[in-house]
Amino acid sequence: MTFTQIVINSIVRASELTLLSLGLTMVYDILKFANFAHTEFAVVGVYLALFLNVALGLPIIPAAIMASVATGAFSIIIDRVIFKKMRNASGIIIMVTSLGLAIALRNTIRAIWGADAQNYLVALQKPIITEYFRTTPLQIWIILVGLAAMFALHLLLHYTKLGKAMRASSDNPELAQASGIATEKIITWVWFIAVTFASLGGILIGIETYILPYMGFAIIVPVFCATIMGGIGNPYGAMIGALVLGFAENFGLYINFGKIINLGGILNFSKDILIPTGYKPAISFIILILVLLIRPSGILGKKKEG
Amino acid sequence: MGLVNFLVYLAIMMGIYGILSLSLNLQYGFTGLANFGQVAFFCLGAYISTIVVLVFKLPFIFGLLGAMVVAGVFGYIISIPTANLREDYWAIATLAAAEVVRIFFLNEDWVVGGGPYQGGSFGIGGIPQPLRSLFSASTYPFFYLAIVLVCLFATYIVINAITRAPFGRVIKSIRTEDNLPQVLGKNVKRFRMKVMAIGGSFGGMAGCLWAHYHGFISPNQFLPLETFIIWAMVIVGGKANNKGAILGAVIILLFYNSTRFLKDYLPIEEVTLASLRMVAIGILIVVAMLFMKEGLIKEKKTIY
Repeated sequence: MTFTQIVINSIVRASELTLLSLGLTMVYDILKFANFAHTEFAVVGVYLALFLNVALGLPIIPAAIMASVATGAFSIIIDRVIFKKMRNASGIIIMVTSLGLAIALRNTIRAIWGADAQNYLVALQKPIITEYFRTTPLQIWIILVGLAAMFALHLLLHYTKLGKAMRASSDNPELAQASGIATEKIITWVWFIAVTFASLGGILIGIETYILPYMGFAIIVPVFCATIMGGIGNPYGAMIGALVLGFAENFGLYINFGKIINLGGILNFSKDILIPTGYKPAISFIILILVLLIRPSGILGKKKEG
Repeated sequence: MGLVNFLVYLAIMMGIYGILSLSLNLQYGFTGLANFGQVAFFCLGAYISTIVVLVFKLPFIFGLLGAMVVAGVFGYIISIPTANLREDYWAIATLAAAEVVRIFFLNEDWVVGGGPYQGGSFGIGGIPQPLRSLFSASTYPFFYLAIVLVCLFATYIVINAITRAPFGRVIKSIRTEDNLPQVLGKNVKRFRMKVMAIGGSFGGMAGCLWAHYHGFISPNQFLPLETFIIWAMVIVGGKANNKGAILGAVIILLFYNSTRFLKDYLPIEEVTLASLRMVAIGILIVVAMLFMKEGLIKEKKTIY
């Protein structure tokens, strides 16, 4: 695989991760709990889109948009039924609740759609092949959607009243409330935006690979890792975290650690040491551990007490 | 399978999960550590004991001790990066650690001695049962049940003693906040690491008992799903109460096993039923957290 190819794969992965980790970090920022059901919400969107696309025959783009909006609305209902009753509970209680919710969602999906891998009805795409790399129009789409989401969120946070209220609520909830910002309204919007983005990210992964009820669990460690690396609660950090992790996951398998140990010929170490492909899911874990050891507040995180 | 055999099987499972539940209760219930990777200790215990007994040809007791030591050391090591951090970091770090343990045994087939169709995704079979030759096929399960109950009892005694000792008071204060124990000169980080080590070694014990009972282990028996079932046990039974943890294990396993028979009465496929069972476990956790935070048996409030 050429260098350019690995770079492209990394950016595609980073775009998908960005969509998922943005939402995780936003929900954490305003509700102060790690939402273990976040990636499962994304899978709800993935299967809703599958239903619209395959059973109802809608083209994939409207199906993806409708499913993501519906999943965003669904998360608001879940918030009203479950999380709203726990606003004053400690983070660990809400986190364990979200774990229970995650198990329930994942298995509901499995009970309805089965455990087998499925695919969207998307026309086979003609790959774009050049001397250095090979890509598909879909991968370019994924990158564009990721960029659009980041840009939209940036505009929202800085140039709208809602976004300013969101930032105020995250900085100082009491002060925000005292200034007449309706926190509950902000929370509703945060859920909607966060889960809609997550669902879009999940659907893009589903189009690129395949759809499984367990895909939410498969991606939870990378998504958390990207979020923590960027500084949990910081949307820009989540973007940077996703980018770093996307590159690490793809380059990790191609770095010959034997050559690094060799130190350019100082040590005569000629064995090739590569990370076996079976350990690809472990890369994000190793990075997570390194981040926790070196800088748990993340790249852009505020220094908080542990 | 006769009814008696089934009940003995159920009792053995309750004993093994009771140990896992007590171990998680020490970590989450008493110390407030969100260990989302309990299955890692279970898996490690099962594999280490199997390796000790099958590859090194040592008696069962060494397998048990090896499992407890390695799982305990593992608990100590994985708590190093998170020892100073908040519970959210614990949750994701332990969850990921458990997956790495599973991926390790999935990829490294040499650790169990190699040979065709042994290790890796094939799993490993032929794990000997302790003192099997002294009993007939029909009486052996009763003997194994006795071993499991002795282990469960030992776990209960040890964890009860720990939580009543001054150590227990310190970890309960850590659960509430870091500042108070720090002001009293307690090294919060050390205490958390010790709790992970002690809890982990009992998790390893449960893994060892599981492996030698079934005689066959494979990485896909140790999915994250197991962790969540153990969580349901602690939450339903009552956190920070050791009797509650065992009661939780009994209730969840009764529920889990009784729903197996539903397939004879309902037109539902086995696979769907398995999913629905987990849906129920998930909803149970949510409902318990919403309406029954203390669980069935409440924590004893002691005034010192």
